[in-house]
Amino acid sequence: MPNWQELVRQHLSGLALDAAEKDEIHAELTAHLEESYEVFCAEGLPQREAVERTLVQVADWQDLQRKILIARRRKQPMQKRVHQLWIPGLLTMMLSTIFLIALQKLGFQPRLVGSGPNGILFYAPWLASLPFFGALGAYLSARGGGLLGTALLASVFPVLALTAVFLLMFPIDFVVERVIERPVDFGTVATDLLRDGIDWILVPGVALLAGGFLVHLLFNRHSWSNETAVG
Amino acid sequence: MIGAGIKRGTAELAVLSVLEGGAMHGYEMARRIEQQTKGALRFTLAALYPMLYRMEQHGWIRGAWETSSNGRRKRCYRLTPAGRKKLSPLRREWAELFRALRRLTKVAHA
Repeated sequence: MPNWQELVRQHLSGLALDAAEKDEIHAELTAHLEESYEVFCAEGLPQREAVERTLVQVADWQDLQRKILIARRRKQPMQKRVHQLWIPGLLTMMLSTIFLIALQKLGFQPRLVGSGPNGILFYAPWLASLPFFGALGAYLSARGGGLLGTALLASVFPVLALTAVFLLMFPIDFVVERVIERPVDFGTVATDLLRDGIDWILVPGVALLAGGFLVHLLFNRHSWSNETAVG
Repeated sequence: MIGAGIKRGTAELAVLSVLEGGAMHGYEMARRIEQQTKGALRFTLAALYPMLYRMEQHGWIRGAWETSSNGRRKRCYRLTPAGRKKLSPLRREWAELFRALRRLTKVAHA
């Protein structure tokens, strides 16, 4: 029996797609050829004939490679990113922020864990809502064709944006304090960074990610429940 | 000779119709179409996958890797809501075309 995987890899080595996408296509076509060959064998064809009849399915590998490229490139990478990451991510960020503002307007007070200026603030209702927002981001990304990594990235998008803000805020703060000639206390800066990192990035990030994972699990279960024909 | 547009249209209709019955992977789809059309429509690997990828990019179908009962990983395709929406007008158009052709051939025979 030929090594179908190697055969596909050799013939479609020139697929100018990213590595993951290329591997996926190779694996899918290999599975098709393997199954085709096995069915021919099961129907009683001699091995050689089964191989020939399997191979006859692709008369021109170069042409197949070209057609796959055209089909896969139809949607531009930028357009893909917009549908799989930016729109779901920004929507997740917008909705979670609006919800937090609404909670503050309604007078919900954050809970202080720890004492003194180094205490960590937790908006319990907001944190409780984050898995839903994370789930929404992952769901929209998955609907747009996003793979697991992209979907999870979309679900934690709000904290990624906050991380970027923090990373920008501290150097700016440092420069400003130098300009106004106020002594910079690196200990205080580090404590602030750690405290804000925990209550605005780490804990919300975990909550958002939990929602994203939940959607991933549900999506998988759903696909199994719909499964009718996987032999 | 059947034009590329007509060929593509029938192929897309065949794939969407067969996926309406449930998710399946490429090889099974090809077998199912061949069986249900009694061999009139046959999809080779070279014809099937570029079309599946194109339809996926259009958002009519969605592929996801699944592990079957024998432990093999297969990429299964299922209809998306957009695919379902596409299927009804496509069916109508083809039914209309076949009716028109039948009328035409009857007139030609008369």
